[in-house]
This record gives sequence, structure tokens and C-alpha cells, in this order.
Amino acid sequence: MKQERFVALHDAGWSEVESWMRGSGRQAWSSALAEQGLDFPSQYRRICQHLAMARARGYSHDVTDRLQRIVDRGHRLLYRPPAPRWHRIGEFIVAGFPRLVRREWKAMVIAAALLYLPTLICLLLIHFRPDVAGMIFSGQALDRFEQMYNPTRDRMGRTSGTDVAMFGFYVLNNVGIAFRTFAAGLFFGVGAIYVLVTNGIMFGGIAGHLDAIGYGGPFWRFVAAHSSFELTAIVIAGGAGLRLGYTLLAPGRMRRGDALREAGGVGAQLVLGAFLMLVVAAFIEAFWSSVAAFPDVVKFGSAALLWLLVIAWLAFGGRRRRSGD
Amino acid sequence: MLDTVRQIETPEGVSLRLHAAGATARAHAWLIDFALRALAAFFLLAVLGMLGSAGAGLGMLVLFAAFWIYGVACEVWMDGQTVGKRMMNLRVVNADGTPVTLLPSVIRNLLRTVDALPGIYGIGLVCCLIDPYSRRIGDIVAGTMVIHVLQRGALGQIPNEPAEPPSTPLRLEEQEALVAFAERGRNLHEARQRELGDLLEPLTGRMGNAGLRKLLAHANWLLGRP
Repeated sequence: MKQERFVALHDAGWSEVESWMRGSGRQAWSSALAEQGLDFPSQYRRICQHLAMARARGYSHDVTDRLQRIVDRGHRLLYRPPAPRWHRIGEFIVAGFPRLVRREWKAMVIAAALLYLPTLICLLLIHFRPDVAGMIFSGQALDRFEQMYNPTRDRMGRTSGTDVAMFGFYVLNNVGIAFRTFAAGLFFGVGAIYVLVTNGIMFGGIAGHLDAIGYGGPFWRFVAAHSSFELTAIVIAGGAGLRLGYTLLAPGRMRRGDALREAGGVGAQLVLGAFLMLVVAAFIEAFWSSVAAFPDVVKFGSAALLWLLVIAWLAFGGRRRRSGD
Repeated sequence: MLDTVRQIETPEGVSLRLHAAGATARAHAWLIDFALRALAAFFLLAVLGMLGSAGAGLGMLVLFAAFWIYGVACEVWMDGQTVGKRMMNLRVVNADGTPVTLLPSVIRNLLRTVDALPGIYGIGLVCCLIDPYSRRIGDIVAGTMVIHVLQRGALGQIPNEPAEPPSTPLRLEEQEALVAFAERGRNLHEARQRELGDLLEPLTGRMGNAGLRKLLAHANWLLGRP
């Protein structure tokens, strides 16, 4: 069949599908389906056949390009991934995320060790040799820490700023660190290791120094509650980064590209969970941790509860149902 | 073949053609996005700045959104296109050619920090130049690629000329080449058209404009025009 006749025969059908697809991008899939969409799959497949014929018969680009455009667009419409459903978010938080953390427990244990061991070492070192703090931090920084945790202040953990301002700052800063920790893990895990260890040293250093000069009370009162979510989230983001880097080094029985893609998917889910945890942590840190007025029982009691909550959530979340993973 | 088109066979037995977008187009899109985000953040911060300290907190949330969330939100809700990509006619797609979904988008935007590393997208650029489909590291790990959205063809209609069959039967590729020449001929200047037409002197038996008209007549005949 000659091209002109082919076009004349099918032009109306093509135009119809073209105009329908142009409109359907704007409206919801379901309403589009109700109107004309029922015919769409068969129309689309017919056009696919037209394209194949046009190519085989050597029709001009004018025709093949047009058909190719319809097919590209139609493929996107027909095989588009289902829209994200909101209840999946709840399911992910309650069950999927803890399950994932437990599945990647090796990376998590290593990340936790990389964070907590330097913390512990610094803490003990400064406890016995207080001058070590001067080697880790500049005098200026130490002054600032001392000012932040001065027992006479009614707002702890900051030099200025209101609760909301600090919330914004914590989100911007902490979540940024978590995201970068994960991404830097791609460098064979070195980036993640670096961030975890330096954070551990910083945390241990500050804690040890403030303890040594007798400001330990306000400091622990400040960090106890939100550290549950914050430190755990940093460990998880670091673990995800380690996993990514390790996969690049040792992909196992998969091709490196495929293994990397899989680790990326797992890592992205872990980081999304860590992101939510850090927002919670920032909220606690800004609006609860900083209040100095409550007695120790309330402060440490709430902190213990939060730690228990985090541990129980990660240890038992999503254990009951076996299927659907 | 030295080509950046990735073909994906669909269940219908035809192939999608994904035209990989190179570093330049993507850099343009990124610049547009960057300017947009900077402007939006600037104005919002100016407004929030009047609210005092609490405004500063909200301002930092705005910065966070502009830096980390903008890309993912745009790509997921706007069919794989940020504003800059839409203006440059680019689109992020999954490996199977469908618009990018949440997780791949999160991965490629998180790993942006790695691609951006030495200064201005050093690693990303190198990776983009090496990879056959111009993917940066984030794209490779996420399994996505950035493609050109094809626009309505700029090819003209073939000029009408009384149809005339060629003197010898032509093979399919030859027919295709002839029709393609007739389609695109008008984008070339006349001397070049004549020069190309003269190569087919054995077929048309004419030189110059007469040869060109003859070629158009053959093309018209191949298309099935009267």
C-alpha cells in the first residue's frame, strides 16, 4: 500500500487518539477511562501495528515520526506506574521500615559501632584527661558549648533563637547531614565512615568536656530525649551509605550495576525513614529538649520512654505479618 | 552505531525510542531550576524575615525544601519534569521508559551531592560523557535516564509534483532515502540540493533543477500521489 493511501485510511483514527491523549494528561486517569479510555488500549495497539507496518514498508519520517510520538506517549499512559497511595506511607512507617532496618542489621551494627565507639572513647578519654578536649575543639567552640549548657539558663542547647527557628535549623542541618552521609557512602563507604566517626568524636568530645567542667547535668538533660531519634537516624543513614559502598566493592552474585541499583533502592527507603525520624527528632529537640524547667524525673523519664519507643518500634514493627514483603 | 537513542521493545512489539539528553541541555535545565529556586527562596526569605526569629526558622525549612525536596517533588508530580526540564523539553524516565517514580527520583536527587562534588558537577559531567546514555552516577544507581521529549516534527510536506515511476526498481533503503531527501530538501539551500540531486544522474538522467524535479516526481510516486 502506498503511503498516501495508508495515511488517508488511518489519519482520522490517529488524530482522535492524539487529541484524546493531549486532554488526558490534564485529568485524572479514572475519569479519562470513564469517557473514552475504554477504547484506548485497543486503539493504541492498532497504532503500534501501524507503526510496525510503516517502518517495514519504508514510509517517510513524516508518518513514522508521528506514529512514534503517539506510541511513546501512549506507552507512558498505558504502562504508567500506579499513583502512590497514601496508606502505603503509614504501612511503611509502621512495618516496612523497621523490617528493612532489621534485614540490613549487619550494616546497622557496623554503623552503630562507628558512631558509638569513638563517642565512648572520647568520653572516657576526656573524663580522665580533661585537656584532650582542647585538642578536639578550638577554645572558641568550647566557650560556645559552655554558654549553651550553662545551668543557669532557662533554654538549653542554644545561644539564641526561638523554638521555631531552632526547629528549622535542626531540620536543615541534621537532615542534610543524614542525606550526605548516605550519598557519600557511594565512595566505597569511606564518606559514611568519615561522617559517622567525626560525629561520634564531636558528640563524645562535647559530652566529655561538659561533664568534666560540671555542666554535665544540663547537657544530658538536653540530649537525652531527642538523641533517641536523632542518633538512631544517623546510624540508619550511615548504614545505608555503608551498604551502598560495600555493594560497589563486593556486588556478590550480581552484576555490579544491578547490585548497585538494588542497594540504591534499599538505601533510599532507609534514608526516607531516617528523614522522618530526624524531623521528629528536630521537633523534640526544639520544643521539648530545650525546656530546662522540668525536674529530672520528667526529663529523663520522657527520654527513657522515647528510647524504648524507638527500640521497640525498630525491633518489633511489622513482625506479625509474614506476607506482603 | 554512534547513537544516543535507546530502544526499548514494548509488549506490542514496537520499540520506544528514548533520545538521551546530553550534558549541555541538562546543564541549561539545571540553571533554570537553580535560578527559579534561588528567586523563590530569596522572596520567601525576605517575607519571612519580617516575622523575626520564627520566620528565620520557617526560612530554613524553605531552604531545605528548595535544596532537597524540589527536585523529587517536581519529578514525581510533574511526569518526570522539573520546571527547567519542562522548558528544555527534557524528561526523567525509568529504565522502561515510564515517567520516574518516587524511589528512583529520591535516589538520583540524593546522589546529586556526589555528582556535584568537585566544584560544579565534576563527577557528574565526566560520568555523563563516558556513559552511552549520558547518565550521571545518580541516574545509574537509580536506573533512570534523562531524555529529550520529541517535539512535533519540523519536517515539511513533500512538494507536489506529477508522479512518475523511477526508471529502474528501487530497493527499500533507496526508496526511503529518496523520500527522506524530498522531505528535508527544502531545509538545504538550492546549490546543495542540486549537488545532491546530481549524484542521482544515473537514475534521473538529468542534471540540476530538472533532475531535482524528477526526484520529487519519483518521491511523489513512491508516496502514492497521483
